[in-house]
Amino acid sequence: MRCFDRALEKRMQNRPSGFGNPWLQLGVSVVFVFVSELLLKRGASAIAAPDEPFSWTGINGLASPLVWWAIVLIVGSFVSWLYVLRYIPLSLAYPLSRVVDILVPLGCWIFLGELISTLRWCGIALVVIGLALVAKPIAKMEERL
Amino acid sequence: MSFLAFFFILISLVTFVAAQLILKRAMEFSATHGLRNAYFMSRVTIGVVLMTVSFFLTLGLLQRFDLSYLYPFQGLSVIFITILAAVVLKERLSARLTIGALLITAGIVLVSMS
Repeated sequence: MRCFDRALEKRMQNRPSGFGNPWLQLGVSVVFVFVSELLLKRGASAIAAPDEPFSWTGINGLASPLVWWAIVLIVGSFVSWLYVLRYIPLSLAYPLSRVVDILVPLGCWIFLGELISTLRWCGIALVVIGLALVAKPIAKMEERL
Repeated sequence: MSFLAFFFILISLVTFVAAQLILKRAMEFSATHGLRNAYFMSRVTIGVVLMTVSFFLTLGLLQRFDLSYLYPFQGLSVIFITILAAVVLKERLSARLTIGALLITAGIVLVSMS
């Protein structure tokens, strides 16, 4: 663990600050993914045609303007993500990026009117604990830098 | 869920995980060799193609299932990517990180079962 910390700490000492901060870019990527998922669901539902033979490919989703907005956000999140990958190990960055798995059900509840059951709330709680475990050493490292 | 739906969810997951590993390797390479070289460009292209396949399959699945039901299957990618990053990319895994990734995966699976 210490070895891992030191290697990451050394790399992060040279990280860009401000908007180029990899942690900020990770946040930007997560927000873009979150909004794009909600837009995709809205867009896909609006033009849903499950009986058509090629609808499994999702290509017909391109008929919805919301899907195109979602694609713009996905491209944006992808660029941020590539930037993140340049600085942060994948085994660290990817679990942290899954904070979106809490945001999406909450967003579905708030914006799309989908229900959240007790079991689903328990699942969300487990994700929060897991994220806290992964993020705590990073917060300590950032304090040292 | 039908076999076809399971099949498409699986393909969507595998292409996504493979894309992440390939893109990480490409970005590591770019840190020392820059962006203008054939290795970097080819890896990023493969990564983008794989992510595009995963995206359109997800779009097809979204027409049939609630987002809050379908999306968490991608959560399984957390544990796959964490383990494969250690095995393939030789990243160091602490016990804390492994437990954290397992909890995130368990939580996401619970959400998908509910």
